Order: sequence, then C-alpha cells, then structure tokens
Amino acid sequence: MLTIAFIFFGALAIGCAISLVAQRNPLYCAISLIGVFISLACIYVTLAAPFIAAVQVVVYAGAIMVLVVFVIMLLNVEAEERRPIKRGSLIAIGVILSTVLLAEAGFVIYYVGASPNELAASGNLSNVGLTGSIGIGLFTTYLLPFEITSVLLLMAIVGSMTLARRTLAPSEVKRQADNVDSLESTVNRSATLRSVPAKPTS
Amino acid sequence: MVPLSWYLALSAVLFTIGVTGVIVKRNAISMFMCIELMLNAVNLTLVAFSRFMNDVT
Repeated sequence: MLTIAFIFFGALAIGCAISLVAQRNPLYCAISLIGVFISLACIYVTLAAPFIAAVQVVVYAGAIMVLVVFVIMLLNVEAEERRPIKRGSLIAIGVILSTVLLAEAGFVIYYVGASPNELAASGNLSNVGLTGSIGIGLFTTYLLPFEITSVLLLMAIVGSMTLARRTLAPSEVKRQADNVDSLESTVNRSATLRSVPAKPTS
Repeated sequence: MVPLSWYLALSAVLFTIGVTGVIVKRNAISMFMCIELMLNAVNLTLVAFSRFMNDVT
C-alpha cells in the first residue's frame, strides 16, 4: 500500500517537475510547482511525518506560491519566446553532464542499497514527524539556530526594503532632480555673491 | 515498506530536474521556482533519513 502510494506520488512529482521545466509561461510553471509540492507532501505522509506534510502544504503550496503568483502578476512577466539555439555543442555537453550526474546518483544509491548495514525503518511508529517532538527539538536543544534563522530573515526583509527604496518612481526621481537643481542654483548664486569682492570697509 | 534508496532516487531525480531548470530558464522568477524545487528535493532527503534513523535531528 505504501509502495503504491510512493510510486504514484513520486511519478506525479517527477511529471510535475518536468512540466515545470518544459513550460514557457511562468504561471503554468507555478501551477506545476504547486503539483510538485502537494505530491511531496503526500510522500511525507507516507514517511510518517504529518507535521512536515502540513507545513509543506500550508507554507509552500499556500504562502510561497501565492507570493510567486503575485510577483508574476505584478511584474507582468511574459512567456519567454522560443529562440533558436546557437550552439549545438552546448546541448551535447549538457546531456553528457546530466548523464554523469544521474549515473553518479545511481551508483551511490546502488551501494547504499547493497551495503549490509542498510538503515531499516523500525516497524514501531516513530515520533519523528510529530508536532511535539519537532517542537521540543526546536525550542530546547536547537533554540539558538532557530533564533539565528529568525534574525537572518529579518536581515533579508530589511535588505529587500533597502533595495526597493533605491529604485524610485519617475515622479520621485524628477522631484529629487528639481531639488538638486534648485540646490545647485542656490549654491552657485551664493558662490557668485561670495566671489564679488566685498567693498573694503574703511 | 519502501526502502530508503527509493526516496534518495526520487530526491536525486527532482534535484537534477531543478538544476536543469536553473540552467535552462531565463526569467528570474522561473529560476527561483526551479531553486525551490531543488530545496524541496533536499528536504525530502532529510525527512527520509530522519525517518529511517528514527531521529528528529
């Protein structure tokens, strides 16, 4: 039963991932990515990790994908046009490299499977993916990395705000340019005033 | 029970597809989505190992 579920959702995930790469419209890419996320959540359920599965659906398929769709809608990203491939040699290199990568992964997996001390999931239900065990681990033993991660996220927010403020709207830019012009004229006027030789006071 | 190597194989395939997407795609947002795919493949590896070693961390 678990095997059937794994094969089904794994095939669904791989199919959605291939569709994600093959699609040209970014919105279709986003929908394929949602499919990958949801099938991965189902695979987490087969791994006896319900909390991770719930977080996967809520955070990834919910929040992050809504964010991505917002960005796509706001930036008005068009589908990338089909452009001719200039170098055929690059395709050959890519195929060779990907074959090497997959062969390497298969080699490692084969030896993991063939090694005598293979890790076997114990039959008794583990408490690995349950909310309580994750919370205990996160807020007692690993509290410091957790807080450091939150500071990191805060830094990311501040950095994105800084980057967003640097690119001003055109009206803003014009107003600032006017300000600079008036400032410069003032400076020039004062400089000319100053360059006028003062009358010698007797 | 599904063996561990199957999960690792699925994760490797998803990661490879993600790398391919990052190289192939031209939009920044599409590349970002492919990076998300790679992150999820690694997540799957972590969860599978934690299940098979019976250890949360």
